[in-house]
Amino acid sequence: MKKPFDEEELRAKSKSLFDDSVEQLDAATLSRLNQGRQKALQEIDAARPAGQWARWVPAGGLAAAAVVAVVVWQGAPVEHSAPEAGAATDFEILLSEDSLDMLEDLEFYSWMDAANLDSGGDVG
Amino acid sequence: MSACTGIFAVSCSREQPKEAMTLQRERQLNQFLAGVERRALRFAEIAVRDRDEALDLVQDAMIKLARNYAGRPEAEWTPLFYRILQNGIRDWYRRQMVRNRVMVWFGRTSEPEDDYDPVAQAPDPMGRTPDEQIESRQAMQKLEQAVTDLPARQREAFMLRTFEGLDVAGTAVAMGCSEGSVKTHYSRAVHTLRDVLGEYWQ
Repeated sequence: MKKPFDEEELRAKSKSLFDDSVEQLDAATLSRLNQGRQKALQEIDAARPAGQWARWVPAGGLAAAAVVAVVVWQGAPVEHSAPEAGAATDFEILLSEDSLDMLEDLEFYSWMDAANLDSGGDVG
Repeated sequence: MSACTGIFAVSCSREQPKEAMTLQRERQLNQFLAGVERRALRFAEIAVRDRDEALDLVQDAMIKLARNYAGRPEAEWTPLFYRILQNGIRDWYRRQMVRNRVMVWFGRTSEPEDDYDPVAQAPDPMGRTPDEQIESRQAMQKLEQAVTDLPARQREAFMLRTFEGLDVAGTAVAMGCSEGSVKTHYSRAVHTLRDVLGEYWQ
């Protein structure tokens, strides 16, 4: 009767066969493994600066958003206030009584302007 | 004159040890990966029975370890590395199952070929006679086939414990399960392999 196959024997033989097969890997395969390892090691270098930059991304984003907000907040009233101020002034002039008087004598002022140009400013 | 003078002195003094630590860690990781890569390749190859696929899986595992766990204590690298590799192998099996379902849908199958022999054309570096090489190769093929036929968790437990020499705790980390589960899976695997291989290896 055969001796029962011992667990330790199975383990030792399996490991021995596995180790042999590892030793028999060909040069082309070892070269590909080496290439893969070098690629993996580059990940450490690649991950390091990325990690440092990534740490500043939220702060940079907030700073950029703040700058945009300030520009919009300060720039917008300047652009809109100038025409509004000008329009208000024009409206004020148009509504003033003096201006209406001037409009009534528009023909006189037109003549005076023409005379002033012709005589070199000696009118009056 | 030293580059680290004036206001830059503080930042330089911090950067140099940091740089040196990174280089040292890179050397340690290189040493670790160089020591584990061949066994990992055979490990993955037995699981997926395709050398190119196994090479891709090992490279992915090395990259993920370097990217995510290079800063962890060196003692943790082995179980972490094999856990990543195991996850890759499981994903590979899932993809294969989906692919096979699609192939069946279109009336085709993509069964693995039975004549797979990963070391058939490699010269023997140990200087054995052709007969000895053939005998060893056939024994390994038988073992590979028997291990491949095991249920996935039993296969993982047996390969990690026997081929990689991980202890129960390390195997549990690599498999992502309890130590009790490792013992159960390993025991069942050994029992099955003894039945399958015992007669052949007597």
